[in-house]
Amino acid sequence: MARIDIVDLCKRFGNIEVISNVNLSFEEGEFIVLVGPSGCGKSTLLRMIAGLESITKGDIIMNDQRVNDLPPRDRNIAMVFQSYALYPHMNVERNMGFSMEIKRTPPDTRRQHVDKAAAILGLGSLMERLPKALSGGQRQRVAMGRAIVRDPSAFLFDEPLSNLDAALRVEMRLEIARLHQRLGSTMVYVTHDQVEALTLADRIVVLDHGVVQQVGTPMELYESPANRFVARFIGSPTMNLIEVAMEDQQLTMKSTHSAIPLPALVGAESATQLGIRPEHLEPMPAGKGHVQGEVEVVERLGSDSFVYVQVPGAGRLLSRCNGNTRLQAGEAVGLSLDPAHLHLFDEKGQALR
Amino acid sequence: MNTAVTPAVATPGSRRSWRAVLRTAAEPWLYLSPALIFIMLVMLVPLVIGISYAFQAISLMNPLESGWVGLANFEALYEDRKFWKSLKNTAYWTIASVFFQFFLGLGLALLLNHGFYGRRLVQALVFLPWAVPTFLSALTWAWLFNPVIGPLPHWLAAIGILSEPYNILSDPNIAIWGPIVANIWFGIPFFAITLLAALQSIPHDLYEAAAIDGASAWQGFIKITLPFLAPMIAITVMLRAIWVANFADLIFVMTGGGPANSTQIISTYIFTTAFRKLDFGYASAIAVVLLVLLLIYAAVLLRLRQSLRLVN
Ligand SMILES: Nc1ncnc2c1ncn2[C@@H]1O[C@H](COP(=O)(O)OP(=O)(O)O)[C@@H](O)[C@H]1O
Ligand SMILES: [Mg+2]
Repeated sequence: MARIDIVDLCKRFGNIEVISNVNLSFEEGEFIVLVGPSGCGKSTLLRMIAGLESITKGDIIMNDQRVNDLPPRDRNIAMVFQSYALYPHMNVERNMGFSMEIKRTPPDTRRQHVDKAAAILGLGSLMERLPKALSGGQRQRVAMGRAIVRDPSAFLFDEPLSNLDAALRVEMRLEIARLHQRLGSTMVYVTHDQVEALTLADRIVVLDHGVVQQVGTPMELYESPANRFVARFIGSPTMNLIEVAMEDQQLTMKSTHSAIPLPALVGAESATQLGIRPEHLEPMPAGKGHVQGEVEVVERLGSDSFVYVQVPGAGRLLSRCNGNTRLQAGEAVGLSLDPAHLHLFDEKGQALR
Repeated sequence: MNTAVTPAVATPGSRRSWRAVLRTAAEPWLYLSPALIFIMLVMLVPLVIGISYAFQAISLMNPLESGWVGLANFEALYEDRKFWKSLKNTAYWTIASVFFQFFLGLGLALLLNHGFYGRRLVQALVFLPWAVPTFLSALTWAWLFNPVIGPLPHWLAAIGILSEPYNILSDPNIAIWGPIVANIWFGIPFFAITLLAALQSIPHDLYEAAAIDGASAWQGFIKITLPFLAPMIAITVMLRAIWVANFADLIFVMTGGGPANSTQIISTYIFTTAFRKLDFGYASAIAVVLLVLLLIYAAVLLRLRQSLRLVN
């Protein structure tokens, strides 16, 4: 098991800074998810931890040892690639045992380790197959098996589920969670999918343009996002944002100057945007609630309903109600904002608390 | 009802359908026929005629004694010491040429597969031997080995390979190395380019996975690069060997098979027999032997490749 510290890490490709001054500490046995939109530098950061990418500036420290100049094979880490990167000319058994083949471990021992990993992943019957004769989910398992056989001090995953279909993704997500419980190793997991991040992580690191936006447990990120980017990125459907201004000690909608009658909020003076998640926006009979609007579309998912409401001055807001709502498109409706779950952002998008 | 009607209809119906079957079977052949006829004319006919010459006496020096002679040409061949010598030379020439062409070409391909400063220039230069007519290359190399105008004998003498700067093309013991060196220079680009293409088709993340699995660069080469290249190596070496075994131009221009037949290979022997001695029957007999040898060689290599693939 490894503790990983990342200190003032920078990465430049030519003149483009892809990772800017990242400072992170991953505890032993922690499941860390690096999440962010495509191109934000998640893979680059992970590959620097793995030793596949050189470090422009800063340090990576594993268990108090600076590993900047260590080649990947001396870092005792395992990595699962998005493409799986299985050796196409080797069968499943050889793929999984490759690290031991390299170390010239005797075949008996090798076989034991491979069989153990195969049993964990339910690969027993596939040992003789070549990767091309496997389904996507099976390849994924073999890639994980190859990592397990190494018994590494840390696992690195680079979007391991993004090539699978939705059902399989849910299944493999559970599998990875189970694996972490079972092995207890440090795991660093890269994804652009916030659902994977929320469900798997002990702690989430949100990256944007190579800059760490926030680090925290899934619920911390969900309940108190540090800035607008995190607020919009975490949570599905995304948080509603309303342009606001402070007029005469009263929060108003910026474009229409109509008041939002909410109790006094901390830091509201410098707020330019008000954020509220769909589940904290409750439809009311017309005339009641904090703002008034007209139902545009209702999406019924059975377990809950998404009500899109056009509010003059605020644009389209989304409210999420439990069960099946009776609201119909075209209906006038009031919306009540839950004062306990409001988020205010200043001009720069920083959360005001 | 049905059973009563069917026999009456069946006879003409089945006859018509039989014809329809025939027509559907023939139709593709009809469409293929232009290509088939063309291939027959261009490949099969000359081949058959060429082989038939091997069983005839066709010598322009002896126009009166032409006609079928059975296996007489082959019997003469069996007794022909010059033939056995050129067969040995062919093996030597082919193995030495392909060996060095392959390993130097592989080295160059590996080098070109890594980025380095000036790579594009080198990559363009690699094609140079192909841009020069073989005839000119042969002449140039012959001059390079000539101590009067070429530097090579002096260099070879300076590093102690030769006792004094003389023309190796006139020394029966080592003359064949002149054309071999020229042929190596000529054949490296083929291996470099084909192997480079194969190298570039290997997914890069396999090397990264191997690096994480603990493989050194050498182990990565052995365990990933080579297995990926193996089919390409087998096919290129096979093709190249056949091609080199038949490749007479360099030898013909540089040494003409001499001195004392020390550089005579089968294909130059065929050429001189046919176009110097004008004995087409005997030349065809040699050519048929060469053809059979190469066919056996190809069959063995293909079989070898199959079993290699099964092992993997
Ligand atoms: N080898 C490279 N050379 C130049 N730019 C690169 C290289 N690798 C990645 N980048 C750039 O770095 C940025 C981050 O890439 P990456 O880490 O792969 O993003 P992510 O995994 O978050 O989608 C992208 O803009 C990408 O174009
Ligand atoms: Mg990526």
